[in-house]
Amino acid sequence: MSGARDIGEGIVNPRLSIPGRLLLFVLVLFGLLPIYWLTATALMKRDDVFAPDRPLFPVDPTLDNLVGFFRNDALLGSLLNSIIVSTGTALVSVLVGGLMAYSLSKFRYRGRNAIMFMFLVGQLIPGALLLISLYLMLSSAGLLYTYTALIVAFTTFTLPLTVFLLKGIMDALPDEILEAAKVDGLSRTATMFRIVFPLVVPGLITAAMFAFMRGWSDLLFALTLAGPDKQTLPAGLTQAFIHEGTADWPSLMAASLITSLPLAIIFILLQRYFVSGLASGAVKG
Amino acid sequence: MAGTPAPATTGGTTTTGTTTTGTTTRRTTLSARDSIFGFMIALPAVLVFLVIAIYPLLSSLGTSLYDQSLLRPERSFVGVGNYATVWGEFVGHVGTTLTFAALATVFPVIIGVTLAMLLNARIRGRNVLRGLLMLPWLLPGVVVSFLWAWIFNDSYGVVDHVLSLVGLPGISLLGDPVGAMAAVVIAKTWNSFPWIMVVALAVLQTLPGEQLEAATIDGATRFQRFRFVSLPHLLGPVTLVAVLEFIYNFGNFDTVFVMTGGGPGDSTTTLAVSLYQLAFGSYELGQASAMGVLWLVLLAFVTGGYLLLNRRLERS
Repeated sequence: MSGARDIGEGIVNPRLSIPGRLLLFVLVLFGLLPIYWLTATALMKRDDVFAPDRPLFPVDPTLDNLVGFFRNDALLGSLLNSIIVSTGTALVSVLVGGLMAYSLSKFRYRGRNAIMFMFLVGQLIPGALLLISLYLMLSSAGLLYTYTALIVAFTTFTLPLTVFLLKGIMDALPDEILEAAKVDGLSRTATMFRIVFPLVVPGLITAAMFAFMRGWSDLLFALTLAGPDKQTLPAGLTQAFIHEGTADWPSLMAASLITSLPLAIIFILLQRYFVSGLASGAVKG
Repeated sequence: MAGTPAPATTGGTTTTGTTTTGTTTRRTTLSARDSIFGFMIALPAVLVFLVIAIYPLLSSLGTSLYDQSLLRPERSFVGVGNYATVWGEFVGHVGTTLTFAALATVFPVIIGVTLAMLLNARIRGRNVLRGLLMLPWLLPGVVVSFLWAWIFNDSYGVVDHVLSLVGLPGISLLGDPVGAMAAVVIAKTWNSFPWIMVVALAVLQTLPGEQLEAATIDGATRFQRFRFVSLPHLLGPVTLVAVLEFIYNFGNFDTVFVMTGGGPGDSTTTLAVSLYQLAFGSYELGQASAMGVLWLVLLAFVTGGYLLLNRRLERS
C-alpha cells in the first residue's frame, strides 16, 4: 500500500471515476454495436429481418446467407480478383518501395529530399484526382479492365505508404552493421540483399500486409478501371447489391462479413509481427 | 479501412543531406559511389511514381482544356470553357465537402482522444477492448457504408426499430438532406476514431510519469494535470493526425457514394462523388478534369498547411 512508486502508478494510470466508466461504456457500445449488428444480420433468416416484430438478435441463426455468398459466381469471381490484385499490389509495393526505403534511409545524394517530398505529398493526393488520367492512360496502353490496371492504380497509394513504413524501420538499423559488411568485403548489392533485407523481414511483411489491406479495400479504382470481370470485392458488392436497394440485407451483410474477415485475420497476424519486429534482438545490434 | 495511419513524422524537411552535419558515422563514411548506388536503387520507385501519379496529375490539366467525352473518340479545344461550366457546381460541392470533412474530423478526434484517456486508466480487459475497438477501422469503406446504410434504413433499420420499441417516432435520416449528411458523418466517425485513439494512446503511454507526479505533489487537480501535462504532449501528434484525417476526408469517395450516392438531391455530393459522376455518369472527361484541377488548387493550400505543421513539429 505504500511507496512513492505506487503513488506514481496511480497518477499515470488513474482509476476511472463512475462518470468515466459510464462514458467508456457508451463509447464502447458505439464502437462495437454496429459490428454486432453486422454479424447478427448475416446470421438471421430473411423472414426474421423483415418481420414487423423482428428480433434484435438471431433467435434462430442460419448460415444460409454466408453459404449463399459462395454459391454466387459473380461474388466468388470478385473474391478471386481481390486476392490476385491485392497480392500483386503488395508484392510490387514492397519490392519497389523496399529499395526506395533503403535508399532514403541509408544514403545521401542530391535530390534525395525532393524525392522524399514527392512521396510525402503524393500520399495525400485523392484517388479521384488521378482517376481520369489513369483511365485514359491505361486505355491507350490497352490495359483497361485488366489486373495490371488495378495493380498500377492501387500502387499510387500503397507505394508512399510502404516507402515511409520501411524507411522508419530501416532508420532503426544501426549503421555499424553496414560498416561491418563493408569491412568484410561485401558488395553494396550483397549487403542489401543478404544483410539488410533479411534483418527487416518482419517490416517487409508488415508493409506488404498494409498494402494488401489498402488494395483490398479500394472502391473507386475497382469500380472504374477493372470492368465486371476483373473487379474486386468492394466493387462486386456494390454492383451486386446497390441497385437492389433494400432487397437482400442479410446476404449483403454476410458478404460484407466475408469481405472483412481477411482483414481481421491479417490484422491479428500483423500485431504479432509488429511485436516481433520491435522485440527481435538482431535489430538492436 | 479508410485512413491508414500514414507515418506522419517522416518528413522531407531536413537540411540537404551531405556530410556537412556529420552527426552519424554513416554519413562521414559515405563515398560518392555509395551515393550513386543509393540513387540507382531509388530510381524504380521514382520512375513508377512519376508515371502513375505525378504525370496523371499534370495531364489532367491538359484534359481540362478540352471538350472530351468517353462517348466520342475525338476531342476539341475549349480553353477555360470547362471551368466556366463547372464553376457553380464546384462552389456548391466545396461547401458540402468542407462540411463533411470538418465534421468527420472533429468527431473522431473527440471520441478517439476521449477513449484514449479512458483506456489509459487502470481498467480490467483494456487490451482486449483496445483490440476490439480497432475493428471499425479495419473494415473496408464499402462495408462501413453498407452497414450504416442498413442501420439507418428507412423501412427495416435497427435505429428506427429500436426507437419504435420504446414508443418514439422513426428518424429516417437518409431521406432528409441534413439527416443524410449526419448519417455519413456518423459512419465516417465510426470508421476513423480508432486510429486517432491509437495515436493518442501511444502518446499517453510515453508520458513522463515524473511530470505527473510533480504536478500532483504541487497540488494539481486531475483536470489541471490533464490541461498542463497531458494536453501539451497530445497536442502536436493529435493535430497532425487530425489534419491528415481532414485531407483524407476531403477526398473521400466510398462512404458517401455507397450510403447516399450524393443525395438526396445533391445534399451530400462531395467533390470526389461529383467528379466520378461527371466522368463516369455523364462521360464528360473534360469537365470532370476541370473540377479536379479546381479541387487540386484548394487541396494545395490544405496540404501546404500540413507540411508546415509537420516541419514545425519535427523541429520541436
